[in-house]
Amino acid sequence: MIPNYIGLITATSAFLGIWFGHVAVRKIEYISPTIWLPSLVALLLGLTMEVGALVADNLNLSAALGIIGITFLWDSIEFFRQHQRIKKGHAPANPANPRHARLLAKSNQATTIAWLDRNPIGRQLSPEELDSIPGSSI
Amino acid sequence: MNLFGLFLGIATLFIIGFGFFWVIRIEYSLGYYWWPYIMGLGFLVIVASIFVPSVWGAALLGAIGASLIWGSTELKEQAVRAELGWYPFNPDPKPQPPFIDLIKKLPLPHL
Repeated sequence: MIPNYIGLITATSAFLGIWFGHVAVRKIEYISPTIWLPSLVALLLGLTMEVGALVADNLNLSAALGIIGITFLWDSIEFFRQHQRIKKGHAPANPANPRHARLLAKSNQATTIAWLDRNPIGRQLSPEELDSIPGSSI
Repeated sequence: MNLFGLFLGIATLFIIGFGFFWVIRIEYSLGYYWWPYIMGLGFLVIVASIFVPSVWGAALLGAIGASLIWGSTELKEQAVRAELGWYPFNPDPKPQPPFIDLIKKLPLPHL
């Protein structure tokens, strides 16, 4: 039988796409003064990649562009969702970012605590323990 | 015009979306210590795709395998979210995976 390597291409593409949406979007949103600009860039990159996927004759190339392009289109929405997480206090705000500084001043939920930056302990945290996490009084 | 990549991309979006669902369910019922088995399953699925002659079949298996690997690293974060009260916390004892003592010594993957 002939080995079929397209699964390796799609696995790598999907992993990179998820990584970008998960890690890079958070980092860019953290420092970007606006949401619309990174969102627009992700939208245009995603559309460009989907056009590339449509015109590519090579199946491997079409697969990689198709998968990464769709994740970029999703990322253009995800920038707005990340902003909402900052507003809600589920992701840490960056006081040096004017957009986040406004959220910190306006919303009593926004915080600089990185809540997820910890290991599980096997039980629910009590309100006192949640209060004692460094920075939670900000 | 080649619709393969576009349709595959949309299919992958649903595979990733389903990841959010199963990560929550697995963490709730089995706990995050099962992560090496989920990660291993992901690698197995990707390797298996090499032996699948169908282009669509192999392509989808690759995306599913990648999503399993990523999701395995999310179980720990999901456990933290449940402990923080953002998601339902399951107080019941969870089934222990084989080699749990070894798994507890492994560094928790975090991406």
